[in-house]
Amino acid sequence: MTLFETVLGDSDNYFSIFNTAIIFIYMSKLVDELKQDIQYQHGMNACLNCGICTAVCPAAEVYDYSPREVMNICQTEDEEWLIDLLKSDKIWFCGQCYSCKPRCPRGNSTADVILALRRLSVRHGYFAESEKGRQQLFAKRVFGENMLKRGYTLTAENITPEHFPELGENWEYYFEHMKEMREWWDVPMDKENSAGSHRIIPEKDMDELRKIYKATGAMELMEAVEKGMEKKLGSKKEVEKFWDNWVETADSRNYEMKH
Amino acid sequence: MKVTRENIIWESHQKHVPTIDDEGGKLWGCFRSCFLQSAAPYTEGVAYKILKNDLGIDLREAAGHTSCGAIGYHGDVTTIETQMVVAARNFAVAHEELGVDNLFSFCVTSFANYTEMIHLWEEEPELREYTAKILKETTGREFWIPRVSGNRPSVVHASDVFYANRHKLAQKAKYSLKGIKAVDHIGCHYGKIFPGEAMGGVEFPQVLVGLLEAFGAEIVDYPERRHCCGMGFRQCAFPENRDYTASSTYKKLASLKQAHPDCNLILTNCPGCTVFLDAEQGTIKEVLEEEFNVSVLDYAQLTGLMLGYDPFKDCGLNAKAVEVEPLLDKIGIPYDKSKTAEQRRRPF
Repeated sequence: MTLFETVLGDSDNYFSIFNTAIIFIYMSKLVDELKQDIQYQHGMNACLNCGICTAVCPAAEVYDYSPREVMNICQTEDEEWLIDLLKSDKIWFCGQCYSCKPRCPRGNSTADVILALRRLSVRHGYFAESEKGRQQLFAKRVFGENMLKRGYTLTAENITPEHFPELGENWEYYFEHMKEMREWWDVPMDKENSAGSHRIIPEKDMDELRKIYKATGAMELMEAVEKGMEKKLGSKKEVEKFWDNWVETADSRNYEMKH
Repeated sequence: MKVTRENIIWESHQKHVPTIDDEGGKLWGCFRSCFLQSAAPYTEGVAYKILKNDLGIDLREAAGHTSCGAIGYHGDVTTIETQMVVAARNFAVAHEELGVDNLFSFCVTSFANYTEMIHLWEEEPELREYTAKILKETTGREFWIPRVSGNRPSVVHASDVFYANRHKLAQKAKYSLKGIKAVDHIGCHYGKIFPGEAMGGVEFPQVLVGLLEAFGAEIVDYPERRHCCGMGFRQCAFPENRDYTASSTYKKLASLKQAHPDCNLILTNCPGCTVFLDAEQGTIKEVLEEEFNVSVLDYAQLTGLMLGYDPFKDCGLNAKAVEVEPLLDKIGIPYDKSKTAEQRRRPF
């Protein structure tokens, strides 16, 4: 018998106490971490659960989503509920329109609470447990990497007819004649050392931007997305397959999850 | 009770945006929109022409300005600290390199993002110190906060500048919207995050209604007027989520058509609304076989049409899902009728 087993009785019992202690410490930290987020502090005062946020929410109308429920879970500070929430699709349903904010009689902002929850979910890898959460790989590789490469969150090349079929046949025509069409409209693109639409931002300015992203935690948050996906899908190779599938089919659900 | 804006005390939500006749009102620095540059670049193009040629504004933009990154912020790949320092950097570049004090952005999310950061700096002095410190360490630049509206820390949106100068623009107009029914659709991030920073507040914002009225339009009201277009960042960006976008657009337009079947013009000030309120009408037509035929123009495109700019070459209306010709005919704006609709849209 080990010393711990002697002290705590049989090994099953020891592990159960040990696990409970670990889970308790871990989850307490999660709630504390959430409460340290300035956006959470500003967004969550005292929610009276009236449901006005849900009544005006565009996401609540089309998804199994209720901002009121999100606020309620946060307000209880129940660790298990919080973890379930961070692992679920729910926090990713919000469209960040902030329709809830001006309506709340208590001055809360669910949309801000959602942002704090999403960052927490990414940092702890919980985002990879839900279908909508796994879309974070696309957000990171499109919005995030575009910023680091070009200084814009979106580029002209992103708005493909395959991913945006509703833009119609005239958009397909534009996309095939992008450079000429932009000159015809008098908004030429990719010009260097000049102001203008979709210009090439000088390298010294891009360096400053990248330094800011590193110093302020954006790089870390983006890396957590890649790491979380790798852990969930099993390997870097699978993450690339997940990405390639999305680029080709425009639907992440065509990638078959193994577990 | 007839609910019109006269019933509402909206003076408390007045912004003080300098007109071209006010001191400093002819020198502006501007920030471009990621989404417009990618999906509707001509809207910034025609806005530039109007501000420079018709209002005589000295419009300055640094090559080294970057995006504010807020699509990444609301798309959850950056932190609030990142947004603060990137905002401070763009302000510093405008002030140091371009010598401008007045700043506007073409994107409502940039406007909301810059406003949010300015509010945070005002409310949380330690975050202001943090921002100044990291800005210095990473870029060597000095922290500076713009004070555009009423000399308090603030920036404004491009549509605010159009609104401030609307009577000048209306004087120069070649055409009128007299007899045309129209309604505004305000971008959520223009008014809902900081209602006090929206011209007229969030319930009865004046920024677009004022412009429409200056051009003579008859404003209509409908139940879902303030409902979001459904752009929703990750909801529109990832095709598998875009039923959210189409549903929101459907809800709005069905409500408009029920209240005012003869209203065929929505005016916008948000890049997302400008693109998706139009584009999703194409989806709805295909999926539900329902047609709304509501033209969705942004404030610069409409002003451009009124001033006589070319609907297609200058205003970019050749990229719209909803055919704009019926509206042009109704207003009396000429276009090349010797060409087919397709030829007008595809010049090469």
